[in-house]
Amino acid sequence: MGTLFSRRAVLAGLTSGAALSTLPINHAFAALDDKPFYFLTPDEARFLAALCDTLIPEDDFPSASQAGVVDFIDLQLAGPYGKGQFIYMQPPFPSGTPEQGYQVSLIPATFIRQGIAALMEAETGFVDADTEARSSVLTRLSEDDFDLGDLPAKPLFDELWTLTNQGYFADPIYGGNEGYAGWEMVGFPGAHAYYLSFVDKHNVPYPQPPTGINHEPGGDGRIPSGLKPQEV
Amino acid sequence: MPDKTLPRTDVVIIGGGWTGLTAAYELAHEGQKCVVLERGDHRHDATSFGAPEEHDELKYALHHTHMMDVKTSTLTFRNNRSQRALPMRRLGSFLPGEGLGGAGIHWNGQIWRPLPSDLEMRSHYESRYGAQFIPENLNVQDWGVTYEELEPHLDFFEKICGAAGYAGNLNGETREGGNVFEGPRSDEYPNPPMKQPIRSTLFGEAAADMGLHPFPLPSANVTQKYENPYGAQLHPCTYCGFCERFGCGYFAKADPIICVYDRIKEHENFEIRFRSTVMRVEKSEDGQTATGVTYIDSDGLEVFQPADVVCMNAYALWNVHLMLVSGLGRPYDPQTGTGTVGRNYAYQTLAGVDVFFDEEIITNPFMGAGALGTVIDDYNGDNFDHSELGFVGGGYVACNQYHGRPISYQPTPEGTPPWGAEWKRAVRENYLHHAGIGVHGSSMATPDNFLDLDPTWTDSFGRPLLRMTFDFPDNDRRMSNYVMERAVEIARNMEHVRSYSSSNRAAEGSGYSIEPYQTTHNTGGAVIGTDPSTSVVNRYGQMWDHHNVFVFGACLFPQNLGYNPTGPLMGLAYWTLDHLKSDYLANPRPLMDA
Amino acid sequence: MKPGIRKTFARLAMLAALAPIPVMVGAQDTETPAISELEARLDDERSLFNATVSDTAPDDDLLELGPLVAMGGAENGGSGMACITCHGGQGAGDGSGAFPRLTGLSGWYTYKQLNDYASGARPNEVMTGIAQRLTEREREAVAVYYSVVEAPIEKPLGEIDLGLLQWGGQLAAVGSAEKGIPACVNCHCAEGTGNPPSVPYLAGQYANYMSYQLQLWKEGVRDNDAMGVMSAIAEKMSEEDMRAVSEYYMRVHNPETTGE
Repeated sequence: MGTLFSRRAVLAGLTSGAALSTLPINHAFAALDDKPFYFLTPDEARFLAALCDTLIPEDDFPSASQAGVVDFIDLQLAGPYGKGQFIYMQPPFPSGTPEQGYQVSLIPATFIRQGIAALMEAETGFVDADTEARSSVLTRLSEDDFDLGDLPAKPLFDELWTLTNQGYFADPIYGGNEGYAGWEMVGFPGAHAYYLSFVDKHNVPYPQPPTGINHEPGGDGRIPSGLKPQEV
Repeated sequence: MPDKTLPRTDVVIIGGGWTGLTAAYELAHEGQKCVVLERGDHRHDATSFGAPEEHDELKYALHHTHMMDVKTSTLTFRNNRSQRALPMRRLGSFLPGEGLGGAGIHWNGQIWRPLPSDLEMRSHYESRYGAQFIPENLNVQDWGVTYEELEPHLDFFEKICGAAGYAGNLNGETREGGNVFEGPRSDEYPNPPMKQPIRSTLFGEAAADMGLHPFPLPSANVTQKYENPYGAQLHPCTYCGFCERFGCGYFAKADPIICVYDRIKEHENFEIRFRSTVMRVEKSEDGQTATGVTYIDSDGLEVFQPADVVCMNAYALWNVHLMLVSGLGRPYDPQTGTGTVGRNYAYQTLAGVDVFFDEEIITNPFMGAGALGTVIDDYNGDNFDHSELGFVGGGYVACNQYHGRPISYQPTPEGTPPWGAEWKRAVRENYLHHAGIGVHGSSMATPDNFLDLDPTWTDSFGRPLLRMTFDFPDNDRRMSNYVMERAVEIARNMEHVRSYSSSNRAAEGSGYSIEPYQTTHNTGGAVIGTDPSTSVVNRYGQMWDHHNVFVFGACLFPQNLGYNPTGPLMGLAYWTLDHLKSDYLANPRPLMDA
Repeated sequence: MKPGIRKTFARLAMLAALAPIPVMVGAQDTETPAISELEARLDDERSLFNATVSDTAPDDDLLELGPLVAMGGAENGGSGMACITCHGGQGAGDGSGAFPRLTGLSGWYTYKQLNDYASGARPNEVMTGIAQRLTEREREAVAVYYSVVEAPIEKPLGEIDLGLLQWGGQLAAVGSAEKGIPACVNCHCAEGTGNPPSVPYLAGQYANYMSYQLQLWKEGVRDNDAMGVMSAIAEKMSEEDMRAVSEYYMRVHNPETTGE
């Protein structure tokens, strides 16, 4: 059973961090507030928010954590991905060449939990550090220039970056891409796709507001007025 | 001893993908009782692949829900024999399928034919460039079957798929606008080409301006309503952008379920058993034939299914694995160069150019299809003069528009940091203004690239995993670089280009990596030919060692083509089935003298 | 906000001062809303996308012209018949099967239908003449108009066999593997909301109209979608299939049947 801290309570801790003081009221945790994280502890969530927001910072579009990426990662780690359902886990686990790919002997949930713990221990000021300092930590991690004891640094970075990126751009049914942040940013209309009459219309913008699998309307979130069911 | 032994059947077919279901269709109609054993589950386009649920990039494209389950079975990999092979713990470089339809469900639908010279590669190069031209360390060989022999079968498969394209060589007459390098076609494509988006149009214009020969990519994404020769009805593609790695709920991408399975499933001679994994092919005591197969059924029981004919229709790699664990044929020994099973494993070389347009060009990349694009074949096979180049083979150069799925499609110009604020801005600014030009190249077989069994790791049934030893041959690296440079020239000649950058998976100095996706075009390991010392099956797809075992799929390719393999391997499948039906069944025997 | 949209908002702001144009033709649902009301409904990206016919978003002149065309006024002496006479001022249509609901259909879609009626690509004795008397701009204007009006969904009449409805729901959701019919939701989206601009909604559309159209697709009389997608599907459907799926979709999202 995960620790029963509500997402809003975790956020309260977040807002004390200098880098995250600009979070809007309607933040990423709000949607799932009053529910505990499924997997992450509050400390882990705070650390991940700082890490993810270094990878995808806020600009005209939300940062990773503002777009629900921490919620996404929480759900992923609690689900089949975290449990190693997509990985051949038979031992032994000798080390190999980069060309031989991922050879971590832990399931992703454990790998990431231990990885975050090791990073928090090595970089105690990470959450409160400025972007430059956090970027430099992540650069070292991504370049395998980081001593995490038994844990491999670059695979840990790759895993965290993959999850962050997925959380920003995957369908909102997975808890991230809140308000279609990622899809709005690039102009991807989403899961409802029918372009037979448009594919050969060259250089014509197609500003269809995104819609996900769950039919949550994007754009400013409103259904066209004519399509609204109305009382007779 | 198996838990149970079933009554004999005429034909047992291992695998329910394109070749397996096709074999069942053709043989069932020939009066043969066919049992198909499929290790995965039943699924159907109507009920399993409908949008919008199917349009889930994370689930299908990245968590590989339609593909093989590596948790229970995978392979081990190393670049060379001096290394210890390690398990491919996650899918990456290639994505074999599992379940009804196999990988034919999640293909892109790029439907090609081999060049006539591809099928006679050694003879062709030796006659054009001299006996010494092919580098010594390459196992280049002829297929033993010619283009002329395969043509009716290639043509028939295109009709099964409702292929969309424009013939560049119709009965020997060359036609501009099609692939002028292709072998003669006996018929036009059954459907007209796909519509072209802006990026491939610009590519085609630039290529034509340089005297090259652009044409629409041949496509099994159907372009108008169509009924195939089996009576399957296909619908027009909607350009939804969820093709490769996804099933098609629109009935618009030809796949083995709607094109074949639906047309045979009710036939009295047809039976398919799901969740049935074949453990081994059983040999007769005299060693001349196979007696049937032993499989684990959906209840976990070990079952012996006796059969008069065994058809091996698993994915290329797993056909070879099954031969090795069954002791069929003689395993290849790289030390002595003897043996054939596992020999001539090959892959493909992928390179490309990323092109970034000015703001005027709006590509709408999400309007895509698996086989949507414009291509040139001027640098494929031996369509260009190799005499001064120092390599054999080639590849096509294509500007395609597959999809704009936002996790996988994040083009950024060279020099963009891999994450952070600048990366984010670059993704946002370039998403609608980019084109990828792909170089899809051949790969030659060498004595050092092969498949055998791993000494350490096992699958969930306790069988040793397949072990892959592979790196790109120097020949292929030179070839890939050469064709990539030609692609760069086209990019330079395209209108509205702000910047471009090139990359090559087979670049000099970098090893083949099992991790990034390249192609699901693994070939060889059980190759076709006319000489039992260099091939596992004769030119009819029949095993030299066991005449009632017929082998299908890309494992037959002696070396890999510069094309996507589904068209060629299905041409071979119909060729084999033709000889099975017209000759072998009435008089079972080796169809060629060893 | 995208530049094109911003421009339109500026134009719409200019419209805000214009007066409403109430019109009574005698029949029910024949009043057209005020321009300011139409404009207010275009203030979100999705409605704007739904309304947009061509490369550029609707301008103020177009929004003014729309209700006039709907009421039968136009350059060439009008369409000969006001749209509102049969389809109503808010596009509610009626259940006869001849007069579909137009309310909220995308501008692109309705405009294309009018062009196809005019050219004969979508044969229809009544609509061909009407569409031919409209200029291209008038077709665009009236298409935009009907994309932004609002009307309640009509209550279905009579009893319905629940087995038929269930079959319709099944065809809608997963199609039929046996018959090779792909699910409606593939293109018309779950709950039949449509996928503007090119795929119309089914939810709340009249069952008689939908089943009649399916029949026309099947017979090849109607063949005006891109590459004949609908004919390919309808050809595989029996009359009962058509009835089932049409009755089903009429009831989806219908407050009368869902209690919303």
